[in-house]
Amino acid sequence: MSKLGQVVESVEKYNQFVLDQVKRARTDQKFGRDLLGRWNDIKAKIPTTRAPTGLPLPRLALPEIDEPGEIARFLFGEGLPGEFPFLNGAYREMYLEPVREVESFEKNGESKAKKIDKRVPQAEEPTRLFSGLMLAEDTNERFHYLTRHQRTHRLSTAFDGPTLYGIDSDADGVFGKIGEGGVAIDTVEDMVRLYDGFDLGSANFSASMTISGPAPIIMAMYIAAAKRRFGPNVIPKLRGTIQADIFKEVQAQNETIFPIEPSLRFLTDMVEFTTREMPRWYPISISGYHIGEAGSTPVQQAAYTLSNGFAYAEMFAARGIPVDQFGPRLSFFLDCGLDVEYIALARVSRRIWAIGMREVFGAGAKAQLYKLHTQTSGRSLIAAEFKNNLTRTAAELILAYMNATNSCHSNSADEPFTTPSEEWIRLAAHGQAILLEESGIFKHTMNMLSGSPGMKAVERAVEAAILDEFREIERLGGVLAAVEDRYQRSQIQNASHRYEQQINDGVRPIIGLNRYRDGSDDIPEVKLVRTPRKKQQLQVDRLAKFKKKNAEKSKRALDKLAAVVESGKNCFPELLEAVEVCSLGQITGRLQEVAGRFRPMV
Amino acid sequence: MASPIRILTAVPICDGHDSAINTINLEFIRHGIEVVYLGYHRSVGDIVRAAIQEDVRAIGISSYNGGHTEFFTGVVDLLRKKGAADIKVFGGGGGTITREDAAAMRRKGVDEIFFAGTSLDEMVKFVHQRYGKPRGKRARAKTSDIELAHTLTEIEKSRKQKKIQNPRSKIQNATVIGFTGPGGAGKTTLIDELVLRFLNKDRQTRVAILSHDPSVIGEGALLGDRATMINSQDDRVFMRSMATRGQAGGLSPATHDCLALLARSGFDYVIIETVGTGQEAMPFQKNGIVDQTVLVMNPDYGSRLQLQKIVMLDLADIVVVNKSDLQRARTAHTEIEQRLELNRRAQRLVDTVAKRHRDPGVDKLFGLISASDKSKRGKERKKS
Repeated sequence: MSKLGQVVESVEKYNQFVLDQVKRARTDQKFGRDLLGRWNDIKAKIPTTRAPTGLPLPRLALPEIDEPGEIARFLFGEGLPGEFPFLNGAYREMYLEPVREVESFEKNGESKAKKIDKRVPQAEEPTRLFSGLMLAEDTNERFHYLTRHQRTHRLSTAFDGPTLYGIDSDADGVFGKIGEGGVAIDTVEDMVRLYDGFDLGSANFSASMTISGPAPIIMAMYIAAAKRRFGPNVIPKLRGTIQADIFKEVQAQNETIFPIEPSLRFLTDMVEFTTREMPRWYPISISGYHIGEAGSTPVQQAAYTLSNGFAYAEMFAARGIPVDQFGPRLSFFLDCGLDVEYIALARVSRRIWAIGMREVFGAGAKAQLYKLHTQTSGRSLIAAEFKNNLTRTAAELILAYMNATNSCHSNSADEPFTTPSEEWIRLAAHGQAILLEESGIFKHTMNMLSGSPGMKAVERAVEAAILDEFREIERLGGVLAAVEDRYQRSQIQNASHRYEQQINDGVRPIIGLNRYRDGSDDIPEVKLVRTPRKKQQLQVDRLAKFKKKNAEKSKRALDKLAAVVESGKNCFPELLEAVEVCSLGQITGRLQEVAGRFRPMV
Repeated sequence: MASPIRILTAVPICDGHDSAINTINLEFIRHGIEVVYLGYHRSVGDIVRAAIQEDVRAIGISSYNGGHTEFFTGVVDLLRKKGAADIKVFGGGGGTITREDAAAMRRKGVDEIFFAGTSLDEMVKFVHQRYGKPRGKRARAKTSDIELAHTLTEIEKSRKQKKIQNPRSKIQNATVIGFTGPGGAGKTTLIDELVLRFLNKDRQTRVAILSHDPSVIGEGALLGDRATMINSQDDRVFMRSMATRGQAGGLSPATHDCLALLARSGFDYVIIETVGTGQEAMPFQKNGIVDQTVLVMNPDYGSRLQLQKIVMLDLADIVVVNKSDLQRARTAHTEIEQRLELNRRAQRLVDTVAKRHRDPGVDKLFGLISASDKSKRGKERKKS
């Protein structure tokens, strides 16, 4: 049985354990009394807060139960926020306003109110906006614009097509794609320009890089760029995330450059390095987003994301990295659409992950956390009567925060047409601020919307369906075998086809498209962000200069890299050397010679 | 009846959005069109080379990752440069291509850009109307690849199988290797891996591939072998995809003549791949051109008794058990070995994992095929 099969068993066993505890609480009087005592303690310790209207509320809402069996069901089955099995949240307070400032408001009245208005938002704003355009200096400028009012600088970087496929800007036929849809990165020098002016070693800075196929090379460039600016001591201080999710590329997104096995090996090499040397870095973001966007059902999205995660954990453990070292450095990324499953999709995922990591991998508390970034669904946005997209995104945001996501990106309403423009980006960002800061839904009380009978019904149905998917993957020989067998890919394509069919047949109402259509399609004033030819040429020229300057050294570095790859040793330290003198495309090319190229699945 | 329209479809380099084109391909073949599908993440050079070799009427490009104006015009310009301006270009990109972009692209020689909301019917109609008429007299071919491609089209078009002489050579100087076997056994991957080895063998080696896919009802066909080939997109490889056009047995009515032409056109190796075949198939039996036949088997063929029914097991020179990393493969090897021993011929049995980079089994197969190399350069190599 693979680890995934064991995960299924561990969840089943845990569910039985919960039932046993419920029974015991009702029959074993001492156990019941202890539980009741613990429950009363928990309730007594919950601080009170006040809404701006003066209404007092508990900072944590709990179900109104006083019977030991039901208390056991809640505490063991769901857990308090921040407690195993983490159904209600990975952390205790999430989006709540800091309690101290609320108290001061209460005590000192109007005179202090001004001070509160000025206070900066929480230390970790959950808002994170994705950006990347043209050349490194252009994206850098955008980063400074986006973070100008924020104390914490959390940059999320999109790369252009050539970079995502690990090729250089001077490759055959890619000229027009330089800087389109993301930033063009060819060399470590571009990487230096990209984050210029930001303090990469600061605790208030983190960089997120959305790239998977060539992720180890880009990671090495980031480290090299940081070293150039701040010296080697900056390495352990670096904070951020790189996507590096190979499985979902093969399952859904088609941005894979090496065959699956060497891709996974290069990934593991990188993870081994970062978990040891960069304890604050997240070297992989296990992503369901692209699976969802490719048209999967929500359950498929959650199931494939989780099973991919367990497969990575199995790989890293097999490499000898301790689970408590890599476990806390894994993070997840989900899509949030409008289907009913999204009421609880991430909640259920968090619980399955915690149980599987604890029971099957022996993970400690920190390595059990399913830390989640959510993005609202791009696929749900349509061109017809596009302003409706604001409402769609708002509804999705509520769902995402009901699932206690750790961070969130809200899409711009003009996304069906173009790379989002500033006007609509602003509305999307403010949508989050209205929800979290202006409205009282999430800022006063944890568990505000958890635990309704409907939500619990969805949780049960979703969990059962995810476990069924696990069993099927297990039957096919585990995640890797299923991926090579195109199982997930075919399932996703099939679901996508059904989705389109449902829209076509009107079974799936899409307002403004197949229902209440008034035919008055308005198109936004689209100011297209296109990279001027002059800039594209500049990138090519810079690259030529870099290659010329390093012609001799790059040859030697590539030979050395190839030798280490052949030897089977961890090649990441060698990559760190190579990026100093080699371009992305040069390294990719050489690695493909040694390890092969990815053969497309069609 | 006129030959079906042949077009090539592809997704540009650095673009993995293949969902739209997959749907469109299926719609095209249902309406009698033969589609050579090149797959996603394909460069201008790969697309133009393939279009010329396949001698298609037009190229359909589905682009969702930006840079479309440069990419489409890059294809148009390179076609002109190569002397293949009679191959037309059309395409689309949902909401990513604006009306202004499309206007600019049309000015630069792109026939048509479809916008979001265009129905599949409209696209099919466009292809039929624009590319359905027979070609006029064609200009003198500018390169030998184009000439070869045109001649192959002529052969495929002519109902009578008349022998067409190659003006350049009457001697068959290529080693011709025939690959056959059930669908899904990995023939295409195996061929692509062998091509890599042929190309690396020496800098002059040239390879031709004649690949077959079945025509479907309505006479269209999805010729998809190129989509999964990564090594065979090379200037030293000439590949032609053929639809069976109603003929049973794994090949097309024009195969023999096309193969004869390729065998005399200066290639070192000519590889012919049949469609996925059944037990009774013996596609190369009467074909005197093929030097060596390779039967590619899947370890999962069913019971041992099934092996007795596979005619090609008697005829093939080399039998390959591909996917030999599967659990079933050991048993398969033993059973097939016993089956071959009954024939008392010097048949060879090779286990491969074609999907693996630098697979030793594929190396061994390559060695066996090279040993029978009868090309001029091959002979020279043997002497030295």
